[in-house]
Amino acid sequence: MHKKSFLILALLGLLVLTLGAPAGAQGITELNIWWAEWDPANYLQQIGNDYEAATGIKVNVVQTPWGGYFDRVATEWAAQGTAFDMVVGDSQWLGQAITEGHYVDMTEFLTSTGIKDTVTPATLTYYGEYPSGSGSYYAYPTEGDANGWAYRKDLFENPDNMAAFEAEFGYPLAIPQTWEQLRDIAKFFTRPDEGLYGIGVYTQIDYDGITMGFQNPFFAYGGDWYDAEFNALGVVDTPETIAALELYKELYSYAPPGTNNAFFAEMNDVFVNGQAAMIMNYFAFFPALANPEINPFAESTGYFSMPAGPSGERYAALGGQGISINAYIDDARKQASFDFITWFATQEVQASWAALGGYTCNIAVLESPEFLAVAPFNAAFAETMTFVKDFSNIPEFGQLLAVVQQYLHAYVVGGEGTAEDAMTSIAEGMDEVLAEAGYVG
Amino acid sequence: MRYVNSSNVKGRPVSQVNAQRGLSSRQETVPPAGRRQLSDMRIVQLFILPTIILLILMNIFPLIYSLFLSFTNYSVISSDPPVWVGLENYTHILSDPDFWHNFATTGTYALLSVSLQTIVGFALAMLLRSKFTGSGIITTLVLVPMMLSPIVVAVFWRLIFNPSFGILNPILGFTDINTSPEWLGDPALALWAIVIVDVWQWSPFVMLLCLAGLSAIPEYLYEAAAIDRASAWFQFRRITLPQVMPLLLIAVLFRTIEAFKQFDLVQGLTFGGPGDATETVSVELYRLAFQGQFETGLSSALAYIVLVVIIAISNLYIRALNRLREG
Amino acid sequence: MANAANAPRQKVVISTRVDKVSTGARLTSSFRATIAVIVALIMLIPVAWMAMTAFKTRPDAVAVPPKVFFEPSFEGFVSLLTSRRQLTNDEIAVYQQRTDLGWADQIALIRGQAITGPSAFPRQLLNSLIISGVSTVFSVGFGVLSAYAFSRFPVPGKDDLLFFILSQRMLPPVVVTIPIFLMYRQVGLHDTHIGMVLLYTAFNLSFSVWLLKGFIDEIPREYEEAAMVDGYTRLQAFRKIVLPQATTGIAATTVFSLIFSWNEYAFALMLTSDAARTAPPSIPLVLGTGGIEWAAIAAGSLAFLIPVVIITFLLRRHLLRGVTFGAIRKG
Repeated sequence: MHKKSFLILALLGLLVLTLGAPAGAQGITELNIWWAEWDPANYLQQIGNDYEAATGIKVNVVQTPWGGYFDRVATEWAAQGTAFDMVVGDSQWLGQAITEGHYVDMTEFLTSTGIKDTVTPATLTYYGEYPSGSGSYYAYPTEGDANGWAYRKDLFENPDNMAAFEAEFGYPLAIPQTWEQLRDIAKFFTRPDEGLYGIGVYTQIDYDGITMGFQNPFFAYGGDWYDAEFNALGVVDTPETIAALELYKELYSYAPPGTNNAFFAEMNDVFVNGQAAMIMNYFAFFPALANPEINPFAESTGYFSMPAGPSGERYAALGGQGISINAYIDDARKQASFDFITWFATQEVQASWAALGGYTCNIAVLESPEFLAVAPFNAAFAETMTFVKDFSNIPEFGQLLAVVQQYLHAYVVGGEGTAEDAMTSIAEGMDEVLAEAGYVG
Repeated sequence: MRYVNSSNVKGRPVSQVNAQRGLSSRQETVPPAGRRQLSDMRIVQLFILPTIILLILMNIFPLIYSLFLSFTNYSVISSDPPVWVGLENYTHILSDPDFWHNFATTGTYALLSVSLQTIVGFALAMLLRSKFTGSGIITTLVLVPMMLSPIVVAVFWRLIFNPSFGILNPILGFTDINTSPEWLGDPALALWAIVIVDVWQWSPFVMLLCLAGLSAIPEYLYEAAAIDRASAWFQFRRITLPQVMPLLLIAVLFRTIEAFKQFDLVQGLTFGGPGDATETVSVELYRLAFQGQFETGLSSALAYIVLVVIIAISNLYIRALNRLREG
Repeated sequence: MANAANAPRQKVVISTRVDKVSTGARLTSSFRATIAVIVALIMLIPVAWMAMTAFKTRPDAVAVPPKVFFEPSFEGFVSLLTSRRQLTNDEIAVYQQRTDLGWADQIALIRGQAITGPSAFPRQLLNSLIISGVSTVFSVGFGVLSAYAFSRFPVPGKDDLLFFILSQRMLPPVVVTIPIFLMYRQVGLHDTHIGMVLLYTAFNLSFSVWLLKGFIDEIPREYEEAAMVDGYTRLQAFRKIVLPQATTGIAATTVFSLIFSWNEYAFALMLTSDAARTAPPSIPLVLGTGGIEWAAIAAGSLAFLIPVVIITFLLRRHLLRGVTFGAIRKG
């Protein structure tokens, strides 16, 4: 008998839940923002608490672990769900979200309020604009981020090291200006007998790790994933990009053992345990390295931005996210979300966002002496944000990424084939995806 | 002893008791009165219906829905409706050499991990079958790996496998981190690394089911064998193994199903790498279904191919199981 | 008939094995015990390593070579159980003067952080308890009923039904997730306790029916038949004879169902967001400002492991006692 009553109970419960859902359409008392589970989301919750104090509207920052974040948001889109009012989303999602109408068009809002001009142009382009160059915006740049480098000043400035380096390579040991210099330094500091390795680079295969790391030299060596006509063949696989991949593999050979599937967390791990003389990482993960309780070398840790390629070009792979409004919520909630972003974008709030540890994209805050002085890596960050570049953000980016990830990892970590094979395979694989999606004949 | 024997099994060799019981006793039971016959029917319905109803509610819709989608070109995040493409998804997958490579990897993995688990689990059960001081605690402790979340297990074993700050290599005697094996970065070792973790985590499962089977073996079978001066090997082969077999096969069946579906561990440890050295079908499936691709139609087709393979293998097991039961 | 009912009981007296007390057997037994202890210890090394990591600081957790001896720290537990905010340098100076800070605040302050409140973890732990507890009761309850019916009665289409039940377990969850997600959105079960209970119950049922059928098949039906001749109804015979005999099976099934629903990750990640979010999606990737917080993950895993270990330990007697000739154990 009790199983019958359970079924009835379950059905009743269902009914109550479906009836109870659409209540309180007007008089918004609560806003839900989705973001991944990490510290910046906690800072955003702090900002949200300030908003509640100022307006009485409660802000919930709901966090999902990074590994499942995109899957989670995308399924919510699929259901045209209203679980979140705003979402802090990756730049790569823009194509999918916008072509399918999941995001509210913010062009008019950002222009009329003048918010558009308060953030650096590059961040607005990469975090908010789609298609590129169209002048249509769908997000307010929230957490600016890109790749930079952390290095051990105590090793770089040690007189013995400096003398030995100059004797070996013929120029003084300093912050590298080119990728070749970076490689020399990595080679120089690779001393397995002392448990020291020259460098840490991204190698993760899961989602976009190794691609993000490789993009830094790839772009600097004149590479691109496709040209204006979406041709990948002959654009991805040039002699220069092949050289860039060979360089990246050589860098990996100077990395600590075990960094075969490494991303931001592993980079910091091999830095704080003293194995790596320098590491690449997103700026969002540098605050930990400035904290002496986490990083024993905090006092002697320095930071620099990406070195240049053979023709002097510098690029840094973009991270970071902009905040967008869910297209499926009702107009009152959309208005409430616009109100929140208007408030959030003021210089005053952006200054406290930066003070908490958020990476603001607000020009005035970025240029303020307080910002540049408050953390040792902020100067490198401000410089980096002027030459960032992103992976594709077309709706098919996931398929493109899968191709790149696999061949890069097979060559760099697995040691399969040559750099030329890998770049050719990537070009062909990308061409196939682009052709199937109708970008190229 | 004789008395028990005859009362239960009508003079047949004891080792066949369990196997025969199901069929024989039903025929021997005098058909009860009509009223009870009816109430038995009611009982069957009452007892089975909740399970069937719940499973239909929760699973039939997803199954039919994904079967339909497997014949369409569809992405769940797209506003375009599914477009019927017939068998295109299936031919696309089956003609892709990568798929066969993934399938071979999955098969190798399943074979290695299930057979090792069976051996280790059975051996553990043999060790722990007779009670000794603290055997209860030891048994509980051996079960601990199984109680951990697979995703946590993967994250931690990554730390353990790490040649720089992991403890596996030092324990195995590799003290120089520059020459010690790089478990997850070496294409030759990565699959073994996953197998090791899976065996570590799930041998206790096989052990527990074997223990249950072992403890069900009537003592007098061994006594009779001892009186006949049968060798230990004979006892093992003719008494222990046949008696444990039904539960052991259930354990192997479930582990095989899980091995073919294995995702959490591979995702956490290598995510198919290095390159595609450990890329199992479920990793590829996840990549297609999520990971920014959302090829819902194609991934449904792949899932159905996996399902058919698992059904075929399970059928083989179940036949073996029924053969055992029916003697 | 009294004769038949007594039959198994009589065996008890006889079945005291002579060879059990012989010295040879005792030696083998202690040899076995030693091996068993060694194997158990080896299997526990990774778990011990996890427990140690829970008390390490971040640099200690990734030290080269790995640190076996270290100064214990509660950093991991503080990161796990609290939400914190980064303090500015000026604030840190002020905080360092304060004398009213608790020990947890002081640990957070070492990293320049101030505790702002509890984290979501305790609430997620409670959700896990409710969802996995209720779903385990249901899946074992329904499972034992169905298993009994399949084991004892000529159910029409039995093999097909059983295979249907088993096949529920075969479809890779990655693909079922999306249809279930869409269905749950439609009926309002998304992010609810009921929704997760239904899902886990359904998922565990296939396993519990099969496993319990395996155990019930082993119980001689003569017992019930004898009881029914003595005037028990079928239901009474089921309750008074079969259920007690099936304790081992029920205990094992309970443990397996509990472990599965307690640790389930993929569905929990996709089908909950806040109200019914269980702990597993959050534990493995506790990201702080510096990447993975190994100590917090270890602390979370440890805290999450303990309830299952306790339940298994409590059930261990039932897990390990004999099934078939159940009367033996009662003497």
